[in-house]
Amino acid sequence: MDGVKAALVLFVAVLLQLSVLTEYRLFRTASIVLVALLSIALLRGSIFGAVAGFMTGFLLDTGTLGTLGITSLLLTLGGFWIGRYGETTARDRFHAPYVSVAVVTALYLFGQLVLQFMLGEPAPAGLVAHGVPGALVLNLILTLPVYALIRRLFPPLELGDRIREVRLLG
Amino acid sequence: MPRNRTVRLAVLGSSVQRAAPSGFPSSRSSALKRRIVVGLLVLASLVLITVSFRSSALDGVQGTGATVLRPFEVAADRIARPFADTIGWFRGLVDAKHENEKLRAQNEALRRQLILDEGALQENVQLRKALNFVGPPSIADFDKVHTIVVANSQGAVDESVVIGAGTSNGVQTGSVVVEPLGGPDGSGALVGTVDRVFSHESRVTLLTDSESAVTATDVTNPSVIGAVRRGGGSSDVLILDRVPKIPVVRVGDTIVTAGSLGTGPLKSKFPRGIPIGTVASRSASDTTLFQNIQLKPLVDFSSIQNVVVLVPKKGQ
Repeated sequence: MDGVKAALVLFVAVLLQLSVLTEYRLFRTASIVLVALLSIALLRGSIFGAVAGFMTGFLLDTGTLGTLGITSLLLTLGGFWIGRYGETTARDRFHAPYVSVAVVTALYLFGQLVLQFMLGEPAPAGLVAHGVPGALVLNLILTLPVYALIRRLFPPLELGDRIREVRLLG
Repeated sequence: MPRNRTVRLAVLGSSVQRAAPSGFPSSRSSALKRRIVVGLLVLASLVLITVSFRSSALDGVQGTGATVLRPFEVAADRIARPFADTIGWFRGLVDAKHENEKLRAQNEALRRQLILDEGALQENVQLRKALNFVGPPSIADFDKVHTIVVANSQGAVDESVVIGAGTSNGVQTGSVVVEPLGGPDGSGALVGTVDRVFSHESRVTLLTDSESAVTATDVTNPSVIGAVRRGGGSSDVLILDRVPKIPVVRVGDTIVTAGSLGTGPLKSKFPRGIPIGTVASRSASDTTLFQNIQLKPLVDFSSIQNVVVLVPKKGQ
């Protein structure tokens, strides 16, 4: 059931990103897809986050007719990493979604740049560096409503369902 | 406390022993599963990148996927359009009065200019006929495919849009894309060129992309020839590069595509006379060979809704 809900949420996020958000100059650097994916990964764990990231990346690359796999790779790693953070450290901390979105936004932009560079495509580092602060601010603003909505759709799992590896020593 | 009892058990005084140190099989299998899944996904991504980048084997899949996505994208756009229009309406109200006066004055000036231009155009046609002049292709030499923008660009690295026309409409890689309105023949300012074509969709690299460039000239001074490309900063500003210091370029001049015929097979793919932008600033320093000319594009690249693709006429 969670898988279907996540697929629907991320599909809508991709549509919003491609058809609505990028039409406004102010919001062009924002990524509602990234925020939604990280929120889901934080609440549902690393495997869920990685699979959702791969599928979402594939959908985005298909929609933009870009090179397939680039966004999938970045979102898979982002979803996995934040999922692990949710499983181990973050738990129910208030700042967890904001920290996740801030860190992954910057890494996502630079990761995209590095991949473009490695493929021999134009990789304007200066433009990306200029765009990072704007993208950070907008994504952090988006995090508040998006995370609240996704938290309602994906209630946090019970501790026992999520923490499987922490053990008492002694 | 015996080594095989936990702290909690010791406190509770229970005699139940902790499970033997079995190596946390569930944790290990979970970690292994996690690593396998993420490893497979990363591998799949790398395979996708390699195949997609090096060959066109996945183009069919991608084209079909884009075609399936298209109705949803159009629906999302239609749902959001009234809200966008409302925001635009309120924003327009703020400076509507001032803009109205300015546009009235501009309209008068343009009306007078149009009369002069009509006369010049007629004269030009007659002279070309008389001289049997063979010049670079113009927009009239192409068929026009009107289409919508399906998806907008994704950020600083990727300045492109996806449009709803492809090979089935005659679009080819390298086809020139312009705005639908503005020009005397119903075509407007330059938007970019098609860089990937599928059966029903194409990707257009915008003029603001760092990989785009076009040979251009000044309408009022055809001896000015340079290359228009993206400036170093915002995508709102283009630069006219490689213009020597001698030809005079004035602020406010209109820059259009030069449409050079060239020598040999590498002639310009852009028809002559497609408007690009107006000169916003001009400067020159003693240490450089060329002028620094900044252009204000005539197209608002952040909100392109419809475009016209120039395709070769049937039978050509």
